[in-house]
Amino acid sequence: MTGLSAFPTLPGRTVGAPVDGARRLLLRDVRLHRSGPADPVEPVAAEPLDVHLDRLGPRPLGDPRLVDLLEAARLTGHGGAHVAAALRWRAVAAGAGPLTVVANGAESEPVAGKDGTLLRQRPHLVLDGLMLAAESLGAHRAVVWLHGDDDGGRRALLAALAERRWSDSRLPVEVLMGPVHYLAGESSAITRAVQGGPALPTVRRRRGDPRAPRTLVHNVETLARLALLARGHAPAGTRLLSVLGADRVVVEVEQTTTFGQLLAGLGWPAAPQAVLLGGYGGLWAPWERLSHLPVDERALRAEGLTLGAGVVLPLAAGECGLRATADLVDYLASMSARQCGPCRFGLPALADSWRALAEGRDVLGEVLDDAGAVEGRGACHHPDGATRLVASAVATFEADVAAHRAGRPCVAGGSGPSSAGWSSSLPSSAVPASTGPTPGERR
Amino acid sequence: MSRDPGPAVRLRVDPVACEGVGLCAQVADRSVTLDRWGYPVLAAELEPGAATRQARRAVRACPRKALWLESAVPDR
Repeated sequence: MTGLSAFPTLPGRTVGAPVDGARRLLLRDVRLHRSGPADPVEPVAAEPLDVHLDRLGPRPLGDPRLVDLLEAARLTGHGGAHVAAALRWRAVAAGAGPLTVVANGAESEPVAGKDGTLLRQRPHLVLDGLMLAAESLGAHRAVVWLHGDDDGGRRALLAALAERRWSDSRLPVEVLMGPVHYLAGESSAITRAVQGGPALPTVRRRRGDPRAPRTLVHNVETLARLALLARGHAPAGTRLLSVLGADRVVVEVEQTTTFGQLLAGLGWPAAPQAVLLGGYGGLWAPWERLSHLPVDERALRAEGLTLGAGVVLPLAAGECGLRATADLVDYLASMSARQCGPCRFGLPALADSWRALAEGRDVLGEVLDDAGAVEGRGACHHPDGATRLVASAVATFEADVAAHRAGRPCVAGGSGPSSAGWSSSLPSSAVPASTGPTPGERR
Repeated sequence: MSRDPGPAVRLRVDPVACEGVGLCAQVADRSVTLDRWGYPVLAAELEPGAATRQARRAVRACPRKALWLESAVPDR
C-alpha cells in the first residue's frame, strides 16, 4: 500500500482500512486521479454478489410501506439538495402515469467522485436500492444514469447486472449513458432524457393530467442507504466526501468528524483560510467558522451552510479567494445549458464583473447587480449556484474584497495581483474551455 | 371576461421557451419589466383587477407560449 503513507489516521480508525459493510457504504477510502471519472489510482475490486449477500443477507422485496421507514430514518437525497426521500416518494405515488425510477450516478462537480466510487465498489448495494424503490412504487422502468465518459462505472454496473441475472429478472435495469456536461446530472435534464428528449434542464409547468409519465430520480448514494435501511440496519452514521488537497480522495467518515479532524486526518499541513463546500456551485465558509463544525448536514444547515453532494475544497492560506472564485464563476458561466436568457447572458456578465473585482477594480456594486439579475431566473438552479457562490465569497473574503477595491494587494495573499496558485491545483476539467459547449437550443 | 377579481394569481415564465420577444412587458406593464437583455422579470404576485387582466392578455400575446398564470397559493 504505497499510497497510504499520505493518509494519517482519522479519529477512530485508519483512513484506507476496510470497513464494516453493514454500517458503512464504501469498502475502503480511495485516492482518485485528479480529474475525470472516479477511477482510483489503485483499483479496488467491486464487491461480488455472493460477498454482498453473505454480508447483508438477501434483499427484501419492495413494499409501499417502505416510505414510512424512509421518513422515520429521515433519509434525504445525497445528490446535493437533501430533499426528504419520503416527500419525493409521496409526490410520485400521487400520480398514475407510467413510472421510471432512475439511479443517478452522473456527478458533475469536477472534484466529486463519491458516487462513482460507490458504484465501482458496491454496485449491488446501489442496484438493491434501485430495485427496492422500483418495486415499492410499482415502476415500469428502472434506469441507471451515468455520464458518457464514465466507462469504469459502466463496466462495474454491467458486471454486477450479469451476476444478478436470475434475481431481478422481472424488471430489467437499463444503463443509460448521458452527455458529458455539468448539467447532464441535473434531475430535470435526466427526466427529459429518459422520456426521449435532450438531456437539458426543463421547467415543470403545473399540469393537471394524472396520467402523465412520472420520473423519480435518486442519487446512487441515497439508494445505497435505502438498501441498508430496508434490510433493517440503522441509518448509516457516516458521510461520503470527495476532498481535493494534495490528492483527490474519496473518504467515508463519521458524521461527528469535524472539518478540522477531517483535514488533519488527510494530512493537510496547515489550516486553510477557507473551504469551498459542495463544489463549484457550492459556497465558501471561513475556516474559523468551519473548523469545529461536524460534516453532518443537519448541523451545517443549522449554521446556514450545506455540503451539497459532499465536495470539500480547502483554500490554502496564501491563495487569493477572489481569484479562486473568479475561476469558479468562469467555469459555471461556461457550463450554462444556454437555454434561458438570464443564465446565458447573465452568468458571463457576472463572471466578467467578478474578474474585474478580483483584478483590483472597485466594481462590487456591479457584481451585486449582476448576481441579482440572474438569481432564481433559470429553468434549473444552475444560475442560483453561481449567485450563492458569489454571495458567500463576498462574505468570506470580506477583507480581501475591501483590499482589492482599494487597489491594495489582498490580505490573505499578500503577494499582490499575481497569485496564480489555486487554479493550477484544480483538475484540468475545471479550467473552462475557450469555446465552451455547443451554443444550445435557440429555435 | 368576468369582472370578478377571482383568487390571487401570479404570472410564471418558462425561461427555456422565452426568447425575449418582449410583448409581455408592453401588454402587462404593471407586472412585467424587462431586464437589460430583454427577458421578462415578473412581479411576485398580481393584484386582482387591472394587473391580472393585463397578465392574462400577456399570456395570450406571447408568441412563444412561454407565460402562464397559476394560483399564488400553492395547491396541496
